[in-house]
Amino acid sequence: MRVAQAWISLHAEDPEAVSALAVARSRLAVGDEIVALTRLRLIELRGPLPTRPRLERLLHGSIQFYNPHKERCEVRTNAREAGPAKPGQHVVVVTERDGERRPAAERWWLHETGSRIEVREGVAWRIEIAPGSKFVLDDLVTVRDRRHGLLCHPRSQEARVASGRIPLPWISPPLADGVEGSVVSPPRNPSVERSVA
Amino acid sequence: MSPPTVAVLQFPGVNCESETVRALERVGLAAEVFRWKRPPHELRAFDAYVLPGGFSYQDRVRAGALAAKDPLVDVLAEAAERGAPVLGICNGAQVLVESGLVPGGDTVELALARNRMPDRSGYYARWIYVRTERSACVFTRHLAPGTVLPMPVAHGEGRFVGEAGRMAVLADRGQAPLRYSDSNGQVATEFPALPNGAEVSAAAVCNARGNVLAIMPHPERAQDLGAVCRSIAGEWAERRTRLAAGNPGPEDGPGLELFRGLAQYLKGSK
Repeated sequence: MRVAQAWISLHAEDPEAVSALAVARSRLAVGDEIVALTRLRLIELRGPLPTRPRLERLLHGSIQFYNPHKERCEVRTNAREAGPAKPGQHVVVVTERDGERRPAAERWWLHETGSRIEVREGVAWRIEIAPGSKFVLDDLVTVRDRRHGLLCHPRSQEARVASGRIPLPWISPPLADGVEGSVVSPPRNPSVERSVA
Repeated sequence: MSPPTVAVLQFPGVNCESETVRALERVGLAAEVFRWKRPPHELRAFDAYVLPGGFSYQDRVRAGALAAKDPLVDVLAEAAERGAPVLGICNGAQVLVESGLVPGGDTVELALARNRMPDRSGYYARWIYVRTERSACVFTRHLAPGTVLPMPVAHGEGRFVGEAGRMAVLADRGQAPLRYSDSNGQVATEFPALPNGAEVSAAAVCNARGNVLAIMPHPERAQDLGAVCRSIAGEWAERRTRLAAGNPGPEDGPGLELFRGLAQYLKGSK
C-alpha cells in the first residue's frame, strides 16, 4: 500500500487563479496583503501502486488525470521530495466534503492495471503574502461573508493548510507508520484560523 | 401608469438573460438586461432584480463565487434590505447563496453543493416537478400550497446544504417555498425525482421576508406550454396535449407562474 501525489498545473497562465486573485485583491478585507495566488490540482492515489516510471506513464496516458498538451504533472511519491511550495509560501488544498473521490479514474485504473486503488482530487491554492503583514489565512480561505473568504465554502468543502513541507498523504487517509511513502499526517482539516505573519 | 421595471443582471458567462426578459415582459413588466460593466449605482433605479442562469465567470473557484463578491451584489443587498424582490435562477441562485442574501443575515449560511446522485456525478439536466409550500415568498404565495409545477433542472451544483438541521428549520419557517415532488405533489426523496440530493428536498430557498428567492430549476425555460417535456404527466401535460390538438387556450407554461407572482406583488405595491 502506497500513496503518490500528482501535482498538476497549466502551462499557460491560469485564468481561474488570475480571477481569484483579482477578486480577492479588490473585494476582500485581506486582499492588499496577497502577493501571488496560483492554483494546482492535487490528485492523490492510494493503493498497490507501480514503480514511479510506470506510474508516470499511466497518469500521462489517460485523460482521467491531466491533459499533457496544456498541463504539466509532477509526481511525488515520498514526503521528503520537494512539494509545490517554496519557503514563505502556503498551500491550501480544498476538497468537496464527502466528494473528493474520483470513481471514473478508479475504474479506469482497475481496467488498465487490474489493481484497485483510491483516487482523490482537490484544488490546491499556493499563496504568497507580503512579508511582515498581519495576514490571516482564514480571511482569504474560508467563506464567511462578502468581505471574508473565497477559496473554501465551509458548508460543502474542507480546507487543509500546509506551510513549508507538504504532507504525503494529504487528502487520503494516513498509512500505517513505516510504510513507504507515508508520513505522519496532520489531522484532517486542521484549522486555517491562524496567522501566518 | 408605466409598468414596474426589472433589471436582469448579466455577469460574463450568464446565458439565460433573453428568455428571462421575455418571461418578465409576458407578465407585463418592463425588463432590461443590466450588464456587469455598468456603474452599480444605476441598479438602484429598478423595482426588482433577476439573476439568470448560466456560468458567471466560467464558474471559476466555485459556481457563483466570484459574482457573489461583485459590487453589483452590494447594491442588490441594499435593495433586498429595502424589500425589493430579487430572484436568482440556477447560477443566479448560486450567487445569492454564495453572497449570503439567501437565506439572509450577515453571514453565508448555506451552500449549493455538488449534486449527489446514485452511480453518477456531475451535470444533470431533466424535467422535474416542484410543489409549492406555505410561504411568504412573493414569487409563490399566490399559488395554493401543494400546487405542482413542472420545470427543467440543468446543473452540477444544486444541492442545498447547511449546518446540521438548518435546512429543516428554514423549511419549517416557510423558507423552502418549492420542494421537488412527483407529479402528484408528494415530496420527492429519491433520485431522479429529487435530482441532486438537496436537504429537505428543497428546490428553492428564500429569505425570511420572502422577497429574495434562490431557485435551482429554470422557470424561464418553462414559460411556454408547448415546451413542457413529453415525459411530464399531470395537469400541465393535459393542457399541453389540448393545446397541441388545436384547442384554444392559454399558451402560458408552468414556469410563468413565478414571474406572475412577481408582477402581482410589484403592481400591488405601486
